[in-house]
Amino acid sequence: MTLADLYSMMPIVITGGGALIVLLCGPLLQARSVSWISVVISGSAGVWAAFTPPALTPSFPGVAFTPLAQFLIPLFCLSAALTLLFSHGYNERRGILGEEYPATILFGLFAMCLLPCATNLLVLFLALESIAFAFYILVTMDLNRVESGEAGLKYLLMGAVAAAFTAFGFALIFAGSGTMALAGALAATGNRVIISAGWGMVIVGIAFKLSLVPAHLWTPDVYQGAPAPVAAFLSTSSKVSAAALLLILLAFSPPLAELRAPLYALSLLSMVLGNLAALLQSNIKRMLAYSSIAHMGYLTLALLTGTREGYAAVLLYGAIYTAMNLAAFGAIASLSLDAERDQIADYSGLGFTAPLRGGVLALAMLALAGIPPTAGFIGKFFIFYSAIRGGEMTLAIIGIVSAAASAYFYLKVVVHLYMHRSNAAPPAPTPAAESLALCCASLFILGLGVFPAPLMRIVDAAMR
Amino acid sequence: METTLFYILSAVTVFGTLCAITARQAVRAIVYLVTSFFALALIFYILGAPLVAAFEVIIYAGAIMVLFLFVIMMLELGSPEKLPKPRLADWWPAVILFLAVVGSVTVIAASRQPAIAPGFTAISVREFSQALFTRYGIAVEAISMQLLFALVGALYLGRRR
Repeated sequence: MTLADLYSMMPIVITGGGALIVLLCGPLLQARSVSWISVVISGSAGVWAAFTPPALTPSFPGVAFTPLAQFLIPLFCLSAALTLLFSHGYNERRGILGEEYPATILFGLFAMCLLPCATNLLVLFLALESIAFAFYILVTMDLNRVESGEAGLKYLLMGAVAAAFTAFGFALIFAGSGTMALAGALAATGNRVIISAGWGMVIVGIAFKLSLVPAHLWTPDVYQGAPAPVAAFLSTSSKVSAAALLLILLAFSPPLAELRAPLYALSLLSMVLGNLAALLQSNIKRMLAYSSIAHMGYLTLALLTGTREGYAAVLLYGAIYTAMNLAAFGAIASLSLDAERDQIADYSGLGFTAPLRGGVLALAMLALAGIPPTAGFIGKFFIFYSAIRGGEMTLAIIGIVSAAASAYFYLKVVVHLYMHRSNAAPPAPTPAAESLALCCASLFILGLGVFPAPLMRIVDAAMR
Repeated sequence: METTLFYILSAVTVFGTLCAITARQAVRAIVYLVTSFFALALIFYILGAPLVAAFEVIIYAGAIMVLFLFVIMMLELGSPEKLPKPRLADWWPAVILFLAVVGSVTVIAASRQPAIAPGFTAISVREFSQALFTRYGIAVEAISMQLLFALVGALYLGRRR
């Protein structure tokens, strides 16, 4: 253990220590300074990770700063920082007081930083469960709304069952391979039958985390009940970390042959049912929940191919999806006053009365629909390209058709924003923090749509 | 001798857990669960982990279950709930899952490989602690953060309003 090892673990130390500092100093400081301190903590952890050279040998027993961690940690930190920027004003309007909120976000970020660094099954499982734990608390944070508590309870109950499945899966993989270390556990040299049973259990648990179709029932209720900035963080970083867990478990090699059928079914059902159900929604948060189910179906399609290209597409899409959903939920959070603005019809005419937020929401919808020159197009393009190259022609065609159908409900929001008039009073001007976060997210969406090459180089480096 | 003991104990564990999830009274369910924890502790002992066996009894059967009992008695949930009996149609997902589990276990049993059964070698407290705080030190830190935030969340949500 050297100083360099400690340096490479600094993102975990910064976020973990930061969560504790915020918790301790929160009562002494103003809410505004607590928010800014948390943003600075998550930003500095991200910058540190981005500029630290990755190492393949474990720094401490159980953790290593891998190239994948170097890619994912800045992404998670960015999304946590943007979430915190969105939440400050939103929480003030809603009376969500106290330092628990930023501290719990930082704790979730701590677990997310730990997850890609894990080199044994135990740390991997604990990191995954800590992320879920942070979200159980965050979803129920709004004590003034009954839905928030209900959503938290639903998430907790379903999450506990999913955690049991994942834990049992990891235990079976351990039983089959005889080692907790990831490198040994995945060599599949032990009892193949037990290992594949373990993989089946893990897939069930991950299907819940990614909200793939038979395990998706919690998603709409939780997104609707959770405060909008929490939904932003939940729909992006928690999903990306679950996908990252699968990538770490697979170690960038093709999945076991037995896993093809379940992954195929999950991907097919999620893409079709997610998009069809989203067509019927009149509540924008529920619509985005079903859309996220469909998007995770696309992600599974790329995972299914088992090729390097497919995995690169997963990472690329994870980053792009983070930007798109942060922009969408951020705009919703910023436009919500003391009541949640959750019906799509409530957004009529907002493109004119609130140009920045309306514009960002419209941009996010166009990106989610996959319309060029937004980043959403690049992401979908690489998913389907890798699927076709990987031999999943049927599923890719079904995915493309369902993605085309999805344009209807995304564009419906844009139509409401710009083609309907409303006599409602214009919303209050955007606070500086929220404008900053919204501009950041939309720059990311547009920048990556026009110049995707830098991100693709980073993704390529992350897979080494 | 150890094998026989193992099968008896596992039968007790499975039976206790089954009774715990089917019991109508919460207090009864807890007593069944405690029974199954005791059997589980003995299984850990046979496998050569006396410390884990002791923890199972002290922490799970002792502390946590007693806490559960207190909570249930304080909330007066002792009377059985009047739930309607599940209809025949509600059973089919459970039946399908049960068949799937039985099928998988049969497949695993059929492809049986020679079981690794090393003799009884107890792991000392010193070895256990060394592994826990060096090899799995990060896991201990992660779980302590998780417990801290469980506390924070519980305090936040339980605050009087």
